[in-house]
Amino acid sequence: MNRGFIQEEMLHCTDMTVLERETARMKWHQDQQQQSYFGGTEFGGGGGGGVVFQGHEGHHQVQNFQGLVGTGGGDLVLGEMVSQSVKVVDAAGLKNRWAELGRFELPDMGFESCGLVNGTSSEFEMTAGAISRTSSCAPKVVVAAVAEPKGKVSAPVGKESSKKRKADKVQNTQVVVEDEPKDKRKKLCAEDGESKITEQTSTKNTTADNNNRESSSDTSKENSKASEVQKPDYIHVRARRGQATDSHSLAERVRREKISERMKYLQDLVPGCNKITGKAGMLDEIINYVQSLQRQVEFLSMKLAAVNPRLDFNIEDFFGKEKVNFKQNSCSFGSLGNLGVQHFLMLLILFLLQYQQMFPACSTSFPTIGMSSEMTNPAYLQFNPAQVVACCGLEMGINSSDMALRRAISAPVSIPETYIDTPSFTQLPPSSTWDADLQNLLNLEFHQGRSTSFPSQPFTGSIEASNLKMEM
Amino acid sequence: MRHPSSLKQEFLKNWILGLQRCGFSSKKSTSIMERKKAIKLSADLAMASTRNGTTCWSRALIANASRDHKSKILAEQILGPESQSLKKASSTMPPVICSRRIRSKKILRRSCSSHVRRVRKIALPQKVLSANSVAKRLVQKRTNILKSLVPGGEYMDDISLIEETLDYIAYLRAQVDVMRCVASATKVVNQNSD
Repeated sequence: MNRGFIQEEMLHCTDMTVLERETARMKWHQDQQQQSYFGGTEFGGGGGGGVVFQGHEGHHQVQNFQGLVGTGGGDLVLGEMVSQSVKVVDAAGLKNRWAELGRFELPDMGFESCGLVNGTSSEFEMTAGAISRTSSCAPKVVVAAVAEPKGKVSAPVGKESSKKRKADKVQNTQVVVEDEPKDKRKKLCAEDGESKITEQTSTKNTTADNNNRESSSDTSKENSKASEVQKPDYIHVRARRGQATDSHSLAERVRREKISERMKYLQDLVPGCNKITGKAGMLDEIINYVQSLQRQVEFLSMKLAAVNPRLDFNIEDFFGKEKVNFKQNSCSFGSLGNLGVQHFLMLLILFLLQYQQMFPACSTSFPTIGMSSEMTNPAYLQFNPAQVVACCGLEMGINSSDMALRRAISAPVSIPETYIDTPSFTQLPPSSTWDADLQNLLNLEFHQGRSTSFPSQPFTGSIEASNLKMEM
Repeated sequence: MRHPSSLKQEFLKNWILGLQRCGFSSKKSTSIMERKKAIKLSADLAMASTRNGTTCWSRALIANASRDHKSKILAEQILGPESQSLKKASSTMPPVICSRRIRSKKILRRSCSSHVRRVRKIALPQKVLSANSVAKRLVQKRTNILKSLVPGGEYMDDISLIEETLDYIAYLRAQVDVMRCVASATKVVNQNSD
């Protein structure tokens, strides 16, 4: 409390001189001594300074809103508040709203009577209680204006739930609870009502008011700024009826929701996981999948190591063994008149290009997979290219599985002779997405070849050579 | 999330780059296990560098590779000179988390000392080992296993663990696909050449 008071004071130090503030305080003090209800049960523990501060704070809130009305309110929420206050100017409207709320009956009575007739002492005590409650969250008001309404909402809820109020305040620091979207409006209404009342109670202390008013516009600005800054930090959690609303369970709920959301994604990603319910089963499945993938990597690396006697494996041994002329190859491909083959060829070129770029050793003669002997055998071609195509690892947008690709490729498409004899592959009309893809990839590959920090001297030559061969 | 084809392409590029680096440096014939290790390491590192060190698992993967003394040289070869920053980022990142975690663990241990546990045990009689707690334990066990599987998983909390697992699975898939393709290509070529 005291700390909040000090903070508040520090805040105002910029606006008021010390003397002014002191006089204001003194006046406040006197007023509160005159009004015995302010010194009543609600402020029992407070002490003089505390009481002064509480009154102070209440006024500040009043003037915050006034200042906001004046400035127009940059912040959305605060602007909303302002509009609310404008709406609720007349006491009747206020009353209606509160009646609609239902749960604010007690403060409603107090506020109403207070607004209309300056109130008996008991009613005043009630309002004072409300004020004290509002001002009891002063540190939060200073720190974050967003938290402001919350603390105040908890105030009119009633005396019976002091524990809950505490919990609410704790939440303000971490999580903003939104029981219902309507609630916020309620809160705002309540707040406005309070501010009005405090205004009415303070009509006597005009000088202090003036002083405060000077500072209030500035504080409101600061508050709105603070709220703008602080806003993203809050996570809006919707607590359903009967759910716990203390900060720990809320945080836990948020965490659990996040986890389950991610788990859903995982379910989509991991095959055979969508039938399983329950976290443990899903985790089991995920573990199995990750393990199987890791084992596959192990196995494949083992296989590659076994297949390739040297570490720079697949290149020279891979393609260097049978150096069939590219043109021959392409001719034989072309004579087959298969679109799939064409695509395969494209992919093959791509693959080779990539490898050629990577490995200048085999750049002197354009290496190709030794297919020439089997070229005449269409059955082989229909089966085998799929594998090789798949092995390029470049058409992955297309092949979800090898089978699909195989089917796609082995599907014979009759193409006109001219099409086959087109001099360059790059001029092929993009009959399917493949072509576009591949062309992009080709370009990309060339760029890569130039930009990579490879032994570049034999390289560009090779690229150009391949380029030439590409265009045949 | 990037498109899978570009991912695989980049992975293949990285991998071949890495393989080339370590392949050219060790011209002598090696044993199959060494080769396998090099291939696996290069594939892993290529995968991690494809992710560009933005996720925990990739950083942990690189860090693990460069921590082990034997594979450190190989890893450096594979990663090459341009990925020094990546390695730095990866090597600095995990220990910080690690130390903080250890410290927090210590604090935790100190704070919930023996008497707290005793009180809890008294409060919870043996018979009430409900299904809830059993399920929780099962989940915890599996989470721990998953943490050991995902590189760098020991330092993650639940939410980030699942996120990282998602990412890791996607990349593992790409890796497996590419490796399988290359293996099958090699097989085809070898068949043809024989």
